Amino acid sequence: MTGAGDETALNLPAELRRAVASLGGPAAAGAVTTSDLSIDEELNLHSLGWEPLELVSGYSVFSVAPGYWSWGQGEIASASAAHDGAFRHAIARMHRDAAAVGAHGVVGVHVERVVASSHVEISLLGTAVRPVGTRAIPADQVFVSDLSARDFTLLRTAGWEPLGLAVGASFVFAPRRRVGTVLQQQSQNVELTNFTEAIYAARESAMERMQKSALALKGTGVVDVKVVEGPMSFASHAVGFAAWGTVVRMVGDAHQLIHPRAVVSLNDLDVAFDARKLE
Amino acid sequence: MSNDTSDLPQATGRRLEELEKGLFTSDLSVNEFLLIKEVGFHPLGLVMGSSIYHTGIQTRKWSQSQELTKLTEAMYNARELAMTRMEEEAAQLGADGVVGVRLDVNYYEWGKDAAEFIAVGTAVKAEDGVSRRNKLGKPFTSDLSGQDFWTLVQTGYFPQGLVMGTCVYHIAHRGLGQTLGSAGQNVELPNFTQALYEARELAMTRMQDEATALDATGIVGVRLEEKSHQWGSHTIEFLSLGTAVVKASDVVSLDRPLTIVSLDN
Amino acid sequence: MGDRPADLPEALGRRISDGSFTSGLSVAEFAACLELGLEPVGLAQGFCAMQWSTYAMGGAFARGIAPYGGGQGGYVENYQCPHGMVSGEHRAWGQNYQQTWIEDAWLKGFSSAYSRMLEEAQALGAHGVIGVVDTVGHLSDLGIIEFHLRGTAVSVPGATAPPTPWSTYLAGQRLVKVIEAGFAPVAIVAAVASVRVWAYCMTEYLMGGTAGFFGGASDPVEIAQIVAAQLTAREIVRSSARTQLHGDSLHGASVSVLEREFEKGDLEIQALLRGNRLRRFKEFDALAVPRATVRLS
Repeated sequence: MTGAGDETALNLPAELRRAVASLGGPAAAGAVTTSDLSIDEELNLHSLGWEPLELVSGYSVFSVAPGYWSWGQGEIASASAAHDGAFRHAIARMHRDAAAVGAHGVVGVHVERVVASSHVEISLLGTAVRPVGTRAIPADQVFVSDLSARDFTLLRTAGWEPLGLAVGASFVFAPRRRVGTVLQQQSQNVELTNFTEAIYAARESAMERMQKSALALKGTGVVDVKVVEGPMSFASHAVGFAAWGTVVRMVGDAHQLIHPRAVVSLNDLDVAFDARKLE
Repeated sequence: MSNDTSDLPQATGRRLEELEKGLFTSDLSVNEFLLIKEVGFHPLGLVMGSSIYHTGIQTRKWSQSQELTKLTEAMYNARELAMTRMEEEAAQLGADGVVGVRLDVNYYEWGKDAAEFIAVGTAVKAEDGVSRRNKLGKPFTSDLSGQDFWTLVQTGYFPQGLVMGTCVYHIAHRGLGQTLGSAGQNVELPNFTQALYEARELAMTRMQDEATALDATGIVGVRLEEKSHQWGSHTIEFLSLGTAVVKASDVVSLDRPLTIVSLDN
Repeated sequence: MGDRPADLPEALGRRISDGSFTSGLSVAEFAACLELGLEPVGLAQGFCAMQWSTYAMGGAFARGIAPYGGGQGGYVENYQCPHGMVSGEHRAWGQNYQQTWIEDAWLKGFSSAYSRMLEEAQALGAHGVIGVVDTVGHLSDLGIIEFHLRGTAVSVPGATAPPTPWSTYLAGQRLVKVIEAGFAPVAIVAAVASVRVWAYCMTEYLMGGTAGFFGGASDPVEIAQIVAAQLTAREIVRSSARTQLHGDSLHGASVSVLEREFEKGDLEIQALLRGNRLRRFKEFDALAVPRATVRLS
């Protein structure tokens, strides 16, 4: 395993001396990049010939009137719309930031999402990237993806490209059981069909919305879909279902196999160092 | 040194005898076991030492930052005793060293100011029969895992001993006058900076003195731990721990690592 | 940076003059260090303990009377009530403002500890500090925070010592790869932004969910004041970090945003950024593609 397979044998001490010698003067004039990718991720990207440009963020918070959570029938349209609006605005702001610095896309987007009785808050943070030495592309072609740089690199290597984020959410009111029914069921093990039906309804519309937004981006698939579902902690009869993921499409005609190599690790813990984990 | 076992409780005698007959016990994982064999060592057995120590009481001045030397001594001696006993067990097995040493402190319900200090590790012996003991003729000790031990040996360095230094320090309370005087400002408190600085430096210097006694080239994997034990929040033990190493050869036999992207979840 | 360097304790003198090195590196990082031809010379650290209060100015005294604002420089944005109501209960105006004094104090504490760490490294004859770890901890005594930075001081055989040691959060194979990729470590970068939000009636109603009545709209609407504060905090921390780059790049940065509610309608949004300032020293040359592996278990 000497020479470590396909890696070139650089004279590292010489490289290091060259590196520290560059510190003597001021920085060469050029575009300043900032990136919140971990160094591991950045090196992955580097191997693909892409580079980070700028940290970009998106944020939005929408208000929801709490009255809507506790009484009603069917979908809580106001909450679904707030979720949709907050996501759309946050993505749009991130998109605008990325396009402004001439990026081709944003990778490694961290999604923070808060659904509270009075508001829905979406916060996004990611790194704008593009292939080294390329220029800005039309703003509508810039993608925003929550895939890590590692996943992005693998996906590109296999001949696929991310197109954007697809999101779908739905909040549904579970009808209250009649008093008679409550009493009747008190000592029995029974399915609470009203809740089951509500969560099914929420799931169907949320997934449908996500698929619709994926099709709108002309994708052929959605990968790494995150799902958050269940009753809302602050409202006794409301259930919610939200899903989001990265829309992808094949670049060429065929999928490229990556031929992984089988390894046996003798490390008990592969401790992944992370620059952002600072005790 | 190896036949000096007077300090060990009698019960350990029989367990160690069985180990000498060729059976080994070890808390090493299979990975670690293989890696230790890879660099020419064989595990002999799990060795441990413990010491139940009563830590004395020392008065602290409310408004003064100072080292509590009596407590420092207690914390140091107790660990040193546990370590020495573990080394004695290893010496009795004819070991060259102990790897994967863990130092723990346990508190018991029954003794308010008593604590048990434990040192546990796996005794190892070189398969080529050449002694790898340290300059003091004792088995080397280290808190390195099997993986780290393997890596270190590849770089041409060799462990000499687990070295430590400790300092129990009392951080002064702030008088009411002081607090009000500077209210409304976020400013540096130089006395506190200095006190915290000094406490950690004392611990580190003591650790370094131990390494020097072993003629070490350096100390790797230094950890700085801060514990309040049961003394209340203003009294803090600063403990620094690391493995003293010597440069044994100029040959670095470590391959350039292969960059991989793991597809495992 | 640190205008009043703490005297090195007496003990340090002895530790430094000693011949052997102390390093906080793990064995794997130590091995990578040797692979690069870096020599560890010792553990360098720096401290700064500061009195700390979030209400340092404004907040504590002004709460319930009127929002604090302006005068300290930085971002300020005012919000006026559209209702024309006059009542003690009604927050007729609101304000977002940058708490520059909090940012300044934080940076002062951090950079004092940082420059002290570099001083120690220099006393050790080092050229740089790798594997920096920083902790910002609250001490037992309420209202004190301590900045503690430490890292392994290293020297490059055959190179001349720079006037100020370089520094990086990176160590081990990550550092090796970064140099292979053509970047030299310059310094660690840390920045903080603090934006206070004093909600006005609209924000309060929207956050409290009573917008339907006062806001006159039942459709979901965006809460403009909070959005502005959140976006501004991120922008401030980014531009503050950018001013420390002097033409170099920032890599491996982490941004964390913390929202604290002191009282209803009185929020602080704090954004913290840490990263590595790196300088490109050779043309871009893509690294070898990492080998994809599957572990047999």
